[in-house]
Formats: sequence, C-alpha cells, structure tokens
Amino acid sequence: MNTELRRARHRQMFIFLFVCLAMLGLLVRLYYWQVVRAQDLTQQATAEHIQNQIVNAPRGIIFDATGHILATNVVRDDVYIEPIQFVVDHPDTDHSPSELQDLVRTLHQVLPAVSQDQLMKAFASGKTTVRIAGPIEPAQSQQLRSLHLPDTFLEPRTLRVYPAGNLAAQTLGYVQDGVGGLYGIEGAYDKLLTGKPGNLTAETDLNGNPLTVGASSGQAATRGANLTLTIDSTMQQIVQSALADRVKASNAQGGTAVVVDVQSGAIVAMAGAPTFDPNHYASYYKTMGCLDSESVYLNPVLNCAYVPGSTLKSVTMAAALDQGLITPDLSFDDPGYISFNDAVTVTNWADKGYGKETMTGVLEHSANVGAAYVAHDILKADRYYPYLQNFGFGQLTNVGGPEEQGTYRTNKSADWTPSDLTRQAFGQSITATPLQVAMAYAAIANGGVMMRPYLVSAIDNNGQVTQTRPQALRCVISDTAALQLNHMLVDAANFNQQATFSGYSVAVKTGTATTQGISDEQTEASMAGFLPASHPRFAILVKIDRPQGGDNIFGGVAAAPLWRYIGQQLMWHYGVAPDQP
Amino acid sequence: MYSLKDRLDTSTVTPTKPILAAKRRRQLHPFFFRMGPVALCITSVLLIALMAVFYLSQCGQALAANQQVQKIREQQSTLRRQNQDLIDMVAQEQSPAYVAAQASKLGLVPADPKTVQVLVVPRLQPPRRDNDQQILP
Repeated sequence: MNTELRRARHRQMFIFLFVCLAMLGLLVRLYYWQVVRAQDLTQQATAEHIQNQIVNAPRGIIFDATGHILATNVVRDDVYIEPIQFVVDHPDTDHSPSELQDLVRTLHQVLPAVSQDQLMKAFASGKTTVRIAGPIEPAQSQQLRSLHLPDTFLEPRTLRVYPAGNLAAQTLGYVQDGVGGLYGIEGAYDKLLTGKPGNLTAETDLNGNPLTVGASSGQAATRGANLTLTIDSTMQQIVQSALADRVKASNAQGGTAVVVDVQSGAIVAMAGAPTFDPNHYASYYKTMGCLDSESVYLNPVLNCAYVPGSTLKSVTMAAALDQGLITPDLSFDDPGYISFNDAVTVTNWADKGYGKETMTGVLEHSANVGAAYVAHDILKADRYYPYLQNFGFGQLTNVGGPEEQGTYRTNKSADWTPSDLTRQAFGQSITATPLQVAMAYAAIANGGVMMRPYLVSAIDNNGQVTQTRPQALRCVISDTAALQLNHMLVDAANFNQQATFSGYSVAVKTGTATTQGISDEQTEASMAGFLPASHPRFAILVKIDRPQGGDNIFGGVAAAPLWRYIGQQLMWHYGVAPDQP
Repeated sequence: MYSLKDRLDTSTVTPTKPILAAKRRRQLHPFFFRMGPVALCITSVLLIALMAVFYLSQCGQALAANQQVQKIREQQSTLRRQNQDLIDMVAQEQSPAYVAAQASKLGLVPADPKTVQVLVVPRLQPPRRDNDQQILP
C-alpha cells in the first residue's frame, strides 16, 4: 500500500471517528432532553398551552322583605402597568423618555386621582407589574380600553356593593376582598352566600383564552344562595334616620332601635347609631359604637347588652300576674322606699313616695319600690327567675351574626344575694340586648306566646327555596295575664302621655338605667312597648345612650319622641286601622 | 409474414399461467388505467396537497369559530357586567334615601304627624294578613 492510500485511509478513519463521536454526543444530548428532562419539559410545555382556571361563583344577592336589593355584585377594573415590558419595548434610549411622558400624561388624564409623579415612580420601579389604580369607574375602563395604551392592562375584579349605602349596614355586615363576609348577615351566612367555585382546564391561545377546538374539561361554578331578609327598607330608613336625628338632638353617644312583628317574630327594622357605610367600610375602622366599647361594625341590637332599667318592671309584673299572685288593682303603701331584712333598701327615683299605690300605679309611676316589693315579698326568687329565663334573658336569639346573651345572677349563682332580686325587679343588676327586651314585649303583646325572632325569611339556593316559617318558642305567660299586663301598660302610656298619639292605643314602659361607678346623670334612656294595643302588630324598643341635658336623661323624655314617631310611621306605612277615636 | 425475431420469441418464451399474470398485472397497475412511476408520484403529491388543503381549511374554520366564540364570550361578559351595573343603579335609585332626597329636591316635605287627622270608622276590623295564622307553642 502506498503512502497516499494509507493517508487517505487515515483521513477516512478520522472523519469516521469524528462523525461517530458527534453522533454519540448527539445521542447523549438527545437522551438528556428526551429521557432525563422529559417529564419536566412536558410539564412546562403543557403549562404553556393548557391552563387551569378557577371560575369564581357569583356571591348571592341579599334582598329586603319587599324585594329591594340590599347587597349585590358589580365588576370593576384594576389598572396595571408593566414597567419591565416598557423598557424591553423601548430600547431606544433617545425616544423612550418622551414616549414614557406621553403614556404617563394619557394615563393621568384618564385617572386624575393618580398623579404623574406616582406614575413615573411606578414605571421606574423595575417590577414586572404594578397596580396603579382600582377599582375604577366603568367610564374610565371604557376610555382606557379604547385608547389601547401599550404596557398597560385592565384586570377585572368582582366587588360587593350595597346600593342603599348605610341602610341596615350593621345588619348586613360587609365583604372584605380575599377574606369573605364579615359581621352581620354577610358573616353569618358567608358559606351559603359564597357558593362553590368551579374550574376550567383547557388549551389556551397566546392571550390565555380557552380554545374551543382543543381538549377541555371543567366543573361549573355554583352561584351563592340569594337571601331575603325580613327587613323592610322603607321602615328601616325611617327608623335609622329618626334614630340618628334623635341621638344628635339629645347630644347622646349613640342609640339603638328595633321593630319586631309580634305575631311572627320577624324583625322589621333594626338600627344603631353611629353606623357605617359598607361600601367604604375601611374608613370606619376607628369608629366605635355601643358606648365606645365595641366596633361600629357590630350590630348593637344584638351585641350591645345594656342595663334595661324600668322596662323590666313589666316582666316582674308578668311573672306575678301569670301566677295569680297580684291583680292590676292590688294596692300597697309606697312611701318612696322599702327596706328588707336580707337586702339593701330600695328607693324610688328622687325618693318620691306615692302613698297607696296599685300595681298599675307602679307601672304608671315607674316605682322601683313597687317592683322590688312584688319580686321580693310576693314572687320570691324561685318564682321569679324561671320567668326571666322564659322571656329569653341571658340566652342567645340566634337571628344571625355575632351577638351577646346578656347576664344576670340567679339564686343558683354562687355570689347571688337577695339584693340582686330586688334590683333586677326594676331592671338593674342585669344586662340584656335590645332584641331580648323587644322580644319580651312582643311576647306580652302576642298573648304570652314567645315567637322565635328571625331575620332571614327565605334562602334561594339555586332554585331550592327554603322559607322561614314563624315559630312559637314557648308560652311564657297566660293569655289572661298578657291581656291584664297589656291594659296596665296602656294605662301607664295614657297616664304619662309621652308616647301616645291620636288614633291608636299604645302600651309602653319607659326605662332609665344608671351604671354603677359612673354619674347618675349618665343614663341609658329607653322605651319599650307595642301597638296598636287592642290588636298588637309591632313591638318597638328604642334606646338612647347617655343623652345630655337636664330632664333629657330620662327614657320618657329622650326616647319617647322617637318611639312615638316610629309607632306613627309604622301604622301609616302598613295601613293599620285606627283603634281609638 | 413474420420476422425472425417474432418467430424466435414465440418459440422460446413459455406462456405464463393466466391467473398469475392477472395477479402480477394488478400489483403493477392497481388502477384501471395504466400509470407510470412519475405519474404515480405526481398524483400522490397532488393528493397529499389536496388533503393538506382540506385539513388547513378545516383548521381555519375551527379557528375562525374559536375566534367567534371568544368574541361572543367577551360580549357576554360585557353584557353581564352592564346588567350588573344596571341592577346596581336601579337598586340605588329605589333605595329609600335616594327617593327621599329626590322628593326633597322636588319640594316635597314629610307629613307633620301633628297635622295628620286620623278618621276612625266604627266597627272596622283590621284586615287579616296572609301570615295571620294560629301558631301554637
């Protein structure tokens, strides 16, 4: 073999080996991509063109008793910019500042609330995306969409809105973005209102829109249940605005009002002052209600337990009348004070004595002595406390949302003394929520039958409707005792003439409670009762916290005008036939 | 008259069996007409091209339909949003506070309870309500 041929063969061998090595390298690389990294790359590729989206379920709507919407949903946009993308899109450093200026100016024109400085800072942040505004108004969204601004996009977001503003705000609560329903009905029925989110897995295009031609699977979202409340918007507005006016006129710290349908237990209106606007709930986080002791977001009708004062004398009388221990005409001597062997002396307001006084007179004069006498000397503890319990004091009403149950000592409590009994007889040494007091009066009005209070009258869970039917809890006192007490309360109302108005008979009792440890001038003035007394339809309780100025601290002065106004409006609004000439 | 070549062919070539000949003919000429390899190639390419055109046409139609669906979805979303906005607006305008404000703007004032006269019709019973029913504890 000559040299030339040998060289040629060597070259061939070298090329052959080189090609073999290259092939081997390619095979190794191929093995790496196709076998070693296969799973990872497949996942990445799948994630690139197959998206799993969560489909949010629309939150249920809340209606009032007349079908008006109290809470609904709207979609609003947040505005985002892409600072990094802007730099990528504008590599030409000579022109980019002027383009940035133009973009910022245009954005500022559409969104005047965002200053040009803020926008410049946002573009200089070096972040992938920055939220610059939101939620924005529909007109602004439309304007931005039509402008087709570069490196700017809109992200829709569902918002909970309350079209009537602060109407029944403390009853409704609010929805916090990303958290859910808080307080009130929104909090108590959050699970039902939220519904069940669905999902959609589908091949998508470059913009992330699901492709119809590709494979897709998913589960539809189940929308939240719609709730219908027993609240009547018109009455709620009347009660709420009248309460706010009364609180202002009395220079009071706050107030509460509640209206209950005595025959069904449905809550027609309940309001607190101060209140808040659930559309802008964050602005009220420092505002306090219930004598500056609780957040304004809590419903004071359910959460602000107070000392009911003389309004509880009706309960004492009810217990004694039901057991046949007294009659409305039973009289005793009231010198203005009463002493007991085992309890502290009880006096009337300003130590005023009324001489020979009937049980009806005790309610007319709101005499503490008479109430203490009935509880301590006639009823005694064993026959008194079961009635407090049956009237619902110290128990939750479970109408929905957070609530207090109120407290009082009984003869079974370790630290109980007979003085507790004598004081509880006229509404001291006990705390109760405004709803508990209103329900006690509703039971008296309803012939002694205590109805279960309720706020949600119907739940429409995607066509499956659950109606709340009025439910009698128990018979607290006899029909006869209830009627006797009804007449006594009408006499008390007619005697004092604080809550009466033409055409309708009313049965009311005032309450002026003081708190131990603070001045007697700092009262909780209240009035509870029902109307029309001959055919009771509604029980009303109003309470003014710490009214100021002279006689204005008493229930008959601070609370009575509001009670009368609400009573009149109720009769006119529902067209109740007058029962008095 | 026959040429020498013809005579030689007839004398030397053994005639094939008729069935085998037909088989071979079918293998070589699958169609009713005779087709050479070039024609077969061109026809195949044309057929493949035709199929590709059909496939692309179908894909195009599907994509157009997809775009239409996307557009309809966007439209649905916009209409749903507008519907929600209208519901909200109606609810706002039906709210008692709004009605009261509008009434005040029109010069209406709330009735003064002191000036309202209540007429009492003798022996008039309150109308029975639907939920007035006997409820026992």
